[in-house]
Amino acid sequence: MKFRVETPTLVLRRVRDVLRKRPSVCLPILLLGLLPFLAGADQQRDADKDTIAIIQASYIYNIAKLVEWHDPGARTGPFIIGILGSDNLYQELVKKYSMRSIGKQPIEVRKLPLSAEVDRCHILFLPKEERSLLPTLLHREQTRSTLIISDYPQALSEGAVINFVSASNTLKYEISIVNAKKHDLDIGLTLKQLADRVVE
Amino acid sequence: MKRLISIAVCLWAFTAVLLAQSNPLVEANDKYQKGDLEGARTLVDKAIQDKKLAETPEPWVLRGFIYKDLYKAAPDAADAGLLRDEAMASLYTGAGLDSAKQYSDNALRAYAYLVTTVYNDAVHALNDMDDTRAITFYTKYKEALSRTDPGANFAERDIDFENALGTLYTKRFNADRGQTGWYDKAVATYKQVLQQDSTNYGANYNLATLYYNRGVYNIQQISADNDIPSIQQIQEASRAFFTLALPYMLKAYQMDPTRKETLLGLEGIHYSLQDEKQSLYYRHKYEALKQDEGKPKEP
Repeated sequence: MKFRVETPTLVLRRVRDVLRKRPSVCLPILLLGLLPFLAGADQQRDADKDTIAIIQASYIYNIAKLVEWHDPGARTGPFIIGILGSDNLYQELVKKYSMRSIGKQPIEVRKLPLSAEVDRCHILFLPKEERSLLPTLLHREQTRSTLIISDYPQALSEGAVINFVSASNTLKYEISIVNAKKHDLDIGLTLKQLADRVVE
Repeated sequence: MKRLISIAVCLWAFTAVLLAQSNPLVEANDKYQKGDLEGARTLVDKAIQDKKLAETPEPWVLRGFIYKDLYKAAPDAADAGLLRDEAMASLYTGAGLDSAKQYSDNALRAYAYLVTTVYNDAVHALNDMDDTRAITFYTKYKEALSRTDPGANFAERDIDFENALGTLYTKRFNADRGQTGWYDKAVATYKQVLQQDSTNYGANYNLATLYYNRGVYNIQQISADNDIPSIQQIQEASRAFFTLALPYMLKAYQMDPTRKETLLGLEGIHYSLQDEKQSLYYRHKYEALKQDEGKPKEP
């Protein structure tokens, strides 16, 4: 039997064809990359990634449920939570708690201007950056039965009722019963028991 | 060009050797040269059934090329993997039987080509988020390459692959946080990289980020239904993840203090650990770095 021997030209063409399609290098692994970090990037930390603001908001909501306001005027209308500064805390409160009620009082979260001229609130959060406003706030009629919460070491001695503190790398709170009485507030037993420190 | 000529000459020799051999192989070669790959396949498969022929390199090398071209004609077909496996096995067998070294170079070059396609399939599988396929192909790639290069060093490529696999697992976990199996796999994979190279920047950073993000996620889940004891429990659980994240992020930072993402990472971890002083320290470093970047460069 005869069989045809292919010319070198044709063979060469086939070889060229093979070489043209040959992957000369392995593909780089493109999926490899750095995972996005959840922390907020530039100046302002994103609200949904601000772990401290998220925890503070949750505490504030629980505190609202465990404190009694003796002032009859505080038992009607919306339950007002005023926030000075602290954009992320404000946003977190609005997002998760503004549709809730304390008793029969619907929660209303207000972002207050950076001034001691504040509206009447059930709870007022004053961050350490605005601590200079505290002495003036304490003497205003509008804050007579306001539960003032802050987040710096001397806040209770300066008049705050509740203060967020860092304890064992977690956020806790301390309470001044003396300051609570000054504002005509009754701190529930559970809130006291779960506090990191209670100043009687 | 020199190589092309050398391959052509080799195939000439191959054809000449076939002239002296039995019919199925000659016919298979004829069909192959004419582009009838299926016909060539049937005949070459018949040829290797012949015990005498099967002891020579020609039918194996020819079979390897036929199967390689069949694979190349339809690389996405259901049987493509099988065709490639057959091609590789035949080329390897042919090269092994070729004591005169007439075809070995070409056979091994074609084999190397196919090995590369196996690796590339592993990469495609990673990009398709198919971890099982990626591992299968990558394992096969290593086995295939080790056959012709027993001393092949995969260390660097293993690290790249595992880092990519860790990222794949992380993405899967991020898509469904209830599936902590993906999280466990991601952690194990990054740790495996770090066992091989504790100074791998990507694995250190990604493992730290994985831990940190899990801690943040727990806190993000706090809702109006959480009472104070449960808030504290969630914080303790998250603290454990932040604490796990810290040494890996520090290691990444020490390896390259000018990377913005590690400065932000350390800032975020310390912030979530309620360590304001350290958080600010890294925040200032990050801002200083950004400022430096904004400055015009010296000529």
